Amino acid sequence: MPIRPIHALLMVPVALVAGTAYATEYLTAPQAQQAIFPDADQFIDATVELSDAQRSAIEKQAGVRQRWKKQAVWRAEKAGQLIGWFIVDEVVGKHEFITYAAGLTPDGRVRGIEILAYRETYGYQIRTTEWRQKFVGKTLADAFKLDEDVPNISGATLSCQNITKGVKRLLVLQQVVLNRR
Amino acid sequence: MKNKIKVGAAVLGALMLSATSFADEGLFGYVRLAEPLPKGAMDFEQWFTVRSDKGEGQYTALDTKTEIEWGVTDRFTTSVELYGLGINTSGLMIDAYLPKDASYVWKPAGLEVATKYNFLSPAKDWIGLSQYVAFSYFWEDVHSGQRKDVYSVEGLLLAQKYFMDGQLVLAGNLGVEATSATRKPIDGLPPDFEWPTTPEMEIEVTASAGITYRFAENWFIGGEIFYQTEHETVVGQERWSVQAGPTLHYGAKKWWATLTWLPQIRGGGLMYPGQTDTDLHLIEKTKQEIRLRIGYNF
Repeated sequence: MPIRPIHALLMVPVALVAGTAYATEYLTAPQAQQAIFPDADQFIDATVELSDAQRSAIEKQAGVRQRWKKQAVWRAEKAGQLIGWFIVDEVVGKHEFITYAAGLTPDGRVRGIEILAYRETYGYQIRTTEWRQKFVGKTLADAFKLDEDVPNISGATLSCQNITKGVKRLLVLQQVVLNRR
Repeated sequence: MKNKIKVGAAVLGALMLSATSFADEGLFGYVRLAEPLPKGAMDFEQWFTVRSDKGEGQYTALDTKTEIEWGVTDRFTTSVELYGLGINTSGLMIDAYLPKDASYVWKPAGLEVATKYNFLSPAKDWIGLSQYVAFSYFWEDVHSGQRKDVYSVEGLLLAQKYFMDGQLVLAGNLGVEATSATRKPIDGLPPDFEWPTTPEMEIEVTASAGITYRFAENWFIGGEIFYQTEHETVVGQERWSVQAGPTLHYGAKKWWATLTWLPQIRGGGLMYPGQTDTDLHLIEKTKQEIRLRIGYNF
């Protein structure tokens, strides 16, 4: 038996989707580079193509999946000397990917993180300096656990969790790939 | 009458679109998630459920639910819901269940207050776990469209698990509902037609599960399975049914919509005289069910 009222119900989501589009980008990659490494005088593209073996090694050590084969990385240099790595990464948010950048020092410490694009319903506090500051100085010796060394933001737990695990994964990527270059 | 229900659904949908606001995100049509709203957050949700086809005669019903939900704390959420009913039934009379033809576009049918308490977070803990408790009063019988006082208390355990960083979501619910129901007298029924007006007690057990995958940004696709059985004072096990089907979800920053088709695939218990689909329960349930949920987050 045909269910004709379905036709009317179908009209509603179609109209909703057709009428809505959004994108919230807070910083571009160059702006984030300047924010994390204001002392750098040049950023050299050092994009990484990861082999399957490298991805497996990262996943094993970080405890989280290395989703991307290609990772956008720049060498931050001052007077020709490496002062850190700048990495743009994406992690799963509730609806869309969250784009963020992390600056890592050559000895494997987080110099800072910046949120480039965040489009979720709740949790805009992750952009605050107070929350991002919790990552500064972290190394792979730290726990990277919500409510332990990184505060959770209610309504955005998945986002906080994935960024926290993401930053740890980038430190592992540095150790497994960048430091061996 | 079908057209009236169709128009009613479209008008309510349009009203939703014209409202500038409002609900706790439902990735599924029927399975509830364990995640609570954050403290101070509020959302609005509108359901439209079309139930149709009892195998004989004409039967189409539109259930609506309008809900406002508020995050009291980061773990405790409370909500108020108004239910509505539109129905068109003719050509099928069942003792104690369908006394006569009924046809109206929409009436308010019941009220519910509910709470949700979150014990474990699906994003932080191994599994997310919440308890859901609801108290409701219905003055319309959602099966027959006739007057009936129905008082219910429902308790559900809600479990939720993230996989692939949250790209794949698995959820399950287990619940019990206790109901006291009293039919209102109806004048002019045939003398041999049964329409008891003494109070009945019913116990309903529900188990459901769903899995959904984010296949593109903002879009989830998945499936749900929903088992329900009801026992009551007069007949013992009155019915059981299994419904299963696909679900499609779109979630944006401020609003979301979920469309679920959940036909009955197996069922049993009481059957009406002459029922030909003997592997389904078609007295209180129907062959087809489709639900659209729309939510808006403040």
